[in-house]
Amino acid sequence: MTAPVITQLLDEATVQEIADQAWSALVGEDEVLVPVPGELGPDTRSSWVEIVGPWSGTVVLTCDRDTAEELTRALLREHAPAELEPEDVDDALGELANVVGGNVKAVLPGPSFLGLPEVGPAPRVTSPADTCRVDALWRGRPLTISVQGTPAPDADPAPSYENGVPL
Amino acid sequence: MRALVIDDSRAMRRIVSGTLEGFGYETRQAGHGQEALDVLHEGWLPELCTIDWNMPVMDGLQFVSAVRANPGWRAVTLMMVTSEGEQSQIVRALAAGAHEYVLKPFTADAIRDKLALLGLLPQEVAL
Repeated sequence: MTAPVITQLLDEATVQEIADQAWSALVGEDEVLVPVPGELGPDTRSSWVEIVGPWSGTVVLTCDRDTAEELTRALLREHAPAELEPEDVDDALGELANVVGGNVKAVLPGPSFLGLPEVGPAPRVTSPADTCRVDALWRGRPLTISVQGTPAPDADPAPSYENGVPL
Repeated sequence: MRALVIDDSRAMRRIVSGTLEGFGYETRQAGHGQEALDVLHEGWLPELCTIDWNMPVMDGLQFVSAVRANPGWRAVTLMMVTSEGEQSQIVRALAAGAHEYVLKPFTADAIRDKLALLGLLPQEVAL
């Protein structure tokens, strides 16, 4: 049986809704993600969690490094240290990916396993057809949330690109 | 009242601790289940543990099972605070001995409501 691609399982509106809830609860009640694409700068940071199950892939949050710092301050509010350490930023960005990823997993067919958050350069999109991506602006700063499939180890990658929608 | 906040995310520990301190709790933090067990073995017994699910070293479910296996810790209330929203996972956690389940993202009001249900909201906050 062929594994489903993510666009058969959820749409951009669902990802946006999940992200909106995460932002409003964690980043701030009045914080909104405006679904408008923006251009990321050259210095980006990504965090992601892996989902393994009937559908397997990663949920990736990417933003500019200074956006990541501002997100961290917003997340920690009065608990933010005067000087943010890189670990604070990675941790906060990782937790946002974890919360969004956990809620994405909850709407996918299960049972699925959720991995621990990782931070670094964004994982490569291996199959545009198995990717659901939301571009948004937060406080006018661009960020992306990408739910992107991981090809099965024995899968022939070619079919994944048939009728692929370029990002 | 005392609470042990168990989460591998430093940011989340700060947020949950801050929320509970706002309700009058004295808090300590642990980065994973084993670290939390070490705190309990020290003799620092809280009324409440908030527990993330996915953590390195020892995850939240293993921690819940370990606490429930120790009769001396029966009075500790265990509340999962996690992004694991799959129904089967919630059932597993409750079956293992967790008392309550809060999904991330949460609001301070959601935590407050759960504490009120558990009878763990200090009276001056509940009023």
